[in-house]
Formats: sequence, structure tokens, C-alpha cells
Amino acid sequence: MNFMGENLLFRQFDNGLKAYVLPKKNFNKVFAVYSTKYGSIDNEFVVPTTGERIKVPEGIAHFLEHKMFDMPYGNVFDKYAEYGASSNAYTNYTNTTYLFSTTSYFEECLKLLLEFVETPYFTKESVEKEKGIITQELRMYEDEAEWQVILNLLKAMYHRHPVRDDIGGTVESIQNIDVDTLYKCYETFYHPSNMVIFVTGPVDADRVFEIIEERENKRGKVFQGEIQRIYPEESPTVNRSSVEVKMAVTRPLFAMGFKDNDVGFDGVELLKKEVITNMLLEIIFGRSTRTYEKLYEEGLIDDRFSFEYEGQKGYGFCTIGGETKDPEKLKERLIASINEAKEKGLKEEDFERVRKKFLGNYIQGFNSLEFIASAFVSYHHRDINIFDYPEVLKNISFDEAEKRLHQFFDLDRMAVSTVYPK
Amino acid sequence: MDRLFKRKALDNGINLYVYSTDKFKTVTVCAFIHQNLDESTATKTALLPFVLKRGSHRFPSSRHISLYLEELYGADFGADIIKKGERQIIQFFIEMANPKYIGSNDKIFDEGLELFRDVLLNPLTEGSGFKKDYVEQEKDVLKRNIEALFNDKFNYAIERCFQEMCKGEPFSVYKYGSVSDLSGISSEELYDFYKMVLKTRPADIFVLGEVDEERIYDKLNRLFSNERREEKIPGSVVVKDVEREKFVEEKQDVNQGKLSLGFRTGVKYGDEDYYALMVLNSVFGGGPHSKLFRNVREKESLAYYAFSRLEKSKGLMMASCGIDFDKMERAVKIVREQLDDIKDGRISDYEFDSSKKALVNSLKEAEDSPAMIISLYLDGIINGIEESIQEIIEKVWNVTKEDVARVAQKVKLDTVYFLNRK
Repeated sequence: MNFMGENLLFRQFDNGLKAYVLPKKNFNKVFAVYSTKYGSIDNEFVVPTTGERIKVPEGIAHFLEHKMFDMPYGNVFDKYAEYGASSNAYTNYTNTTYLFSTTSYFEECLKLLLEFVETPYFTKESVEKEKGIITQELRMYEDEAEWQVILNLLKAMYHRHPVRDDIGGTVESIQNIDVDTLYKCYETFYHPSNMVIFVTGPVDADRVFEIIEERENKRGKVFQGEIQRIYPEESPTVNRSSVEVKMAVTRPLFAMGFKDNDVGFDGVELLKKEVITNMLLEIIFGRSTRTYEKLYEEGLIDDRFSFEYEGQKGYGFCTIGGETKDPEKLKERLIASINEAKEKGLKEEDFERVRKKFLGNYIQGFNSLEFIASAFVSYHHRDINIFDYPEVLKNISFDEAEKRLHQFFDLDRMAVSTVYPK
Repeated sequence: MDRLFKRKALDNGINLYVYSTDKFKTVTVCAFIHQNLDESTATKTALLPFVLKRGSHRFPSSRHISLYLEELYGADFGADIIKKGERQIIQFFIEMANPKYIGSNDKIFDEGLELFRDVLLNPLTEGSGFKKDYVEQEKDVLKRNIEALFNDKFNYAIERCFQEMCKGEPFSVYKYGSVSDLSGISSEELYDFYKMVLKTRPADIFVLGEVDEERIYDKLNRLFSNERREEKIPGSVVVKDVEREKFVEEKQDVNQGKLSLGFRTGVKYGDEDYYALMVLNSVFGGGPHSKLFRNVREKESLAYYAFSRLEKSKGLMMASCGIDFDKMERAVKIVREQLDDIKDGRISDYEFDSSKKALVNSLKEAEDSPAMIISLYLDGIINGIEESIQEIIEKVWNVTKEDVARVAQKVKLDTVYFLNRK
């Protein structure tokens, strides 16, 4: 596959693991990720080896991520430091991703990535110790109003779906995490057929595949089918239309969300839905709109006003908002803009201009290896190839956008979240 | 060794730096106007980029600018203030997708440049000042921006420590100035100030991307032909001694304590010892290999984050961590011990090698990012040295443990700041 002079290479190994390489000759840095389709929402599942159906504590995927850096010989960070490389990881609602970035000893770093992600090593002492560190991480987020306003919005929109829970769990829930449960989660979700590797930078793709293959062939893992994940039945309505809290901030923070009911599919259809919805948000609330201009001039929003659609197979929602002096008024005005768009319809020239903007932004993203890698795996776990984006963008019709406008922006599926100053 | 940028002064004295490369998918243009950080002018200076980006003669509103940018395939355009040492720098940037990737021609690049120029040099005026509404609205936005620091506890605890530490020095002035100075600024006064800044303050323009050096020089020489009479501005003052250590505690309604320790290093970028200071900081708190990470986080489980960083133009070092409220004394003790160990030369081979490798790795990685490349060169400009990233790397390699221990003798704790709960 070739786009903008980029050539993506692919290999699948016998045990189900997939690997992609995007060579970037002129770059100094290699950026590599090893990612599992396992995130904070995967709290209830069937353990494939035993058939046991279990429910695990909130925040365990993130906890597991922290503990993967422990090896029988010590800490993986130290090993990477010896190569002058940096390593890290992140967990979100749907995946856990390990990464390293280096300008030297690439092969050693890659081998280490495979080794540590494929070696679970948990002890009672280290698990207990991690609870202290993660407690501080959760406390840090508790003081971040911009994060809290979104978390609260998700709690308002969703009745039962685990996307309403904090990715890291709670200080209470993580106390219930133990060695045994960590191993069960690991064995279920860190199976090669649930994982993907993506490498980009000045590398030789054949050599990358060779290194991976050599190791994977020795692991004795056999291809495993789909993991049975159990999510609670979610009502199409919102849980609560409004939620308010008070924090140590100078001004109110406001977020409005719409809960998507058109869910249950991934692949190129999901990509298309995501692009259309983001285009609609841009057409209605973007910086080139009269809505944005007026709200800005009245001091109801500022540069930090933002919006985004997040679409996964099992759920989808958008968030719109920012800091404001008057949350009630901002809410009214945002609703009025949506109603106006629905009543008067969209303008074709706006639609085409936003399409141009999205194409340019996509190309700009390719400057950053980190962006490419994180976007690649995030789409991959949704059965989407990020390189299909320009084609999907090109083929979206105006009629499809208008249809989605009426279907998605349903005021009955709207919720708002506000953080007020104490 | 090759320097990436070719420097050539425009006819009016503005320095043009061009790095012609096809490495990136975009073309980036940045303009920097340098101002000495000073309480009496900081707020006015901070207002300028925000008022200017509200509209020019050809693009009379932000909405017009945004519409135009979207037509240019979502060119990224913005303006802000950056503070480096005791410099307050007005920054304008535009980043456009390389026309060849969107099947377009150089016309969109030329159009982007014209917008860039028009906003900088041809602002919308009313009578003998900027458009009044824009000035009043941006004063309000800036006020909110200044106050918003309070909502970001992580950075708040660092900024407050710097302020307390450097009381009475220009460095204590916030990059956006102060709320109390805002009300007195009129649109006429601001416009006169703008003309003075444009005429007399040092200015640099950077261009990075697939461009023809000759052509871009001619073009910018034509576009930026404003009359100038440049004046020298003072550099940062490095204070070396600490009369007595200060302790400052502040109480807010928060869930996590934030501890910051501000150090005077006596060494700034441009000094021979600076490279040893870089290694010192890396050993102290520059990543997972560092003493702070390993002791505060991994050994004692006191924090999720614990790091240190340099303010390289002012010769300061800041250590920070998020901890339980009752662990403050313990954390301060450990942080002090880590620095004492460095002073006594207790640096393991592992710590030392990893630190140098980590620095070299991040310097090489910087060459993969347009923004980082420009930022590093700008650091050189304001500290009066011009050196390539490769040259910095060589100097870092040459640092010895003895150099680090020697430079550590100059490092003195000045202020301990603690954000506590009420």
C-alpha cells in the first residue's frame, strides 16, 4: 500500500500476531508499539483456557500495564535506559499499548519490547507497592478539572456500560486487584491473536519481521479465536441529562455530549461514521462558523473550546465544550445552533471546505511518528486501516452528512456536565 | 558538522533561517519577535499576538482567517507568547501541507504566506488604534488565560515556585503578564506599542520544509519590507547565590499535594559547563533512569510523577512531584539526598551512561520534529550561540562524572513550594 511516498508492509505470524512496518528513511528515530485490544471496558469476559466467566475490578487493565514493566531480573525501564531509549505505555477504554522510541540499538530495543510484553511477572509485594503509585496517579486526575468534566459526562450518558468508569479505576477498586486476577487478564488478552505490532522509522522491514518471527515461533502459542467479552445491556437513553460538581477552579467548565445509538459495527463503516460526525461538528461549531464567532465575542468560549467524536464498536459519543462564564447560556446557544443546522440544512460549500481541511490535517499528522503509531493501532483494533482515510473522506456524500445530522444530534440523547468553582 | 538552517538577513535586518528538506509532509513558517521580560511591558506584549490574530485589513475577522485557512487544506495558523529565560517572545506560525501531497501547486503556499504577513504587518485599525472591540475582547480572554493557570495544578505548583524564588527579578513575571495591568491598556496605546515593537525589537523568521532557498528569500524580502531600526535588548541575569532557603506553602481544595523545589544552578546555556549541567539534571530527575524516579517513585512509592527539568536560559532547575499530603517532609528529604549524592560524586555507571544516552537520544529525536528543531535553534539565538544539534551531542558525550560533581557544587536549593490541602 502506497500513499504520499509511504509504503506500509504487513506480515501475520502463525500464532495470529500481526505486524506492520512503515519505513521512514530520513528520520533518526524509530518508534515501535506493541498493542493489545484490551482496555478499561473489558471488565467481564470468559477465560479461554478454562471457560470460566469472570468479572474483574475496575482499573485492572491499567494496573496490568504498570506491572508489565517488572521482569524477574528487575525493571524494563532500566534496560531501555541502557540503550538510551525511552519506553512507556498507555491504557485507554479499548486498548493497552506499549512503546519505545530510540535512535540507537533498535534491534535490541525491539527484542526487549517483545520479551517484556510477552513475560508476565507479578509478585504479591510488587502488586501491593504499585497500589501506592497508582493511588497518586488517580489523585492527580481527581484534581484535573478538564478530565473530571468529561468523566462526569460519560457517567451521565451511560447507565451501565463500563465506558462510564475511570480508565484507572478508583482508589477503592484497585485495592481488590491481586496476582491471580492479573494473570487471568494477561492470559486472556495478551494472546498474540489479540495483538498487533507497528514499527515506523529508519528500519528494514524484512529484518523487523525476521526478529519477530524468530521469537514468536518459539512461544508455543496457537491461534486463538475471538475472546468472549461481556458488556452489560445499555439503554439507548441517557442516564441523567445533567451532572454538576464543584472543584477548585476559577471558572466553570462545561461539556455537552450526544450518545450515539447507531453502534455495533466496526471496520470501514465505523471510520466513515466517525469522519462524517467529525465533519458535522466542524461545520456547526468550527472556527469558521458564525456560531463560534458570536460565542467568542460574547466571552462564552475561548480558544480552548473543542469538540470531538469518539466511535468504538460498542459505543459512540461526542463531547463539545470548554471553559465558560455561563454554562446555562452556552448550553442554550449550542442547542440553538444544532437546531438551526437541522432546520435550515447544511451548506454544500461548508461541507467541501471542511473536507479539504480534514485532508490537510491528515497529511500533517504524518509528520509525527508518535501520531502515526498511536492512530494506526487505535484504528487497527477497530478493524480499520488508517491509510483508507483519504479514500473514505473523498467518498462521503453531502446527503450522508445531512442524514447523520438528523440521526445523531437527537436532543433526547444529550447530556451535559459542569464543574463549578468552589 | 552541517547546520540545518541557512541564515541570511532580510534587507530590513530580520534574520531569515531556512532549512530546505523533504523529510516532512508540511512546510512550517515561524516568526519570533523578541522582547525583554519586564513587568511594565509584559501584559501589553502578551496582548499583541492575540489582538493581531483577530483580524487584518484583508482578513477582517478570525472567521475570515479561518475560512481562508480551511480553503488552504486546513493550514495550521496561530500566535502565542513563549517565555525563555527573561525573554518574552511573540510567536506566529503557519504550517501547511506540502502542496505536492494534495495534488495542488505552490499557490496555496504563497497564499498562506500572504495571510501570515497580513496578520503580522497589516492589522485592522480604527481611528489611531487597533479595532476597539477586539482589544477589549482579547483583554478579557487574556485575563481568563492568566487565571486558568490556577486550574492546572501541575503547572501551577511549578510556576508558583519560580515566582516565589525569583521575586524581584524579571523572571518572576508570568508570560501573559498580570490581570491588574490589563484594565489600563487602550487600543491606541497598544497600537503605538505594537509599532514600536515591530520597528525596534529583534525578529527572526524560520522556514522549514520543501522550499527553494533563493525563492523563499526573495519572497520574504518582498513581503517583510517594513522599516526597522533594531535595538539591542538585555539578556537574562543568572543569580548564583542563595541567601537563605525559602519555604512557601499554599492551601487549596485539592486531592493531591504538589511539591516543587527550585534550584539555582549558576550555569546557563552558552556557558561551558552547561553540558555537564544537562547530564546532572538527567541523572537527578530526567527520566525513569534518574535518581528521583527510582527513589521517590519506585523505591518509596511516594509519587506517580517525580522529575526535574532545566530553565536553561536563566540557569534554574526545578524538581516536582505529586504526593500524599503527609509525605511532604519525607519527599523533600529524599530529593535533597539525591542532589547531595551527586555532589559527592555518588553517581553509578548505570546512572551516568543512561543519562548521557537519554540526552543524546532526545536530541536526535528532536531532529525529527519541526517544532523541536526550531525551538532548539531559538534557544541558541537568545543565548548568543549558534550550534548544530550534532555539536550539542558531541559536547554531551564529552562530559565526565567529575564535571557533573563539580557543576553540582554550584547547584543550590532556593525555594521549596508545597501546594497543600485546606
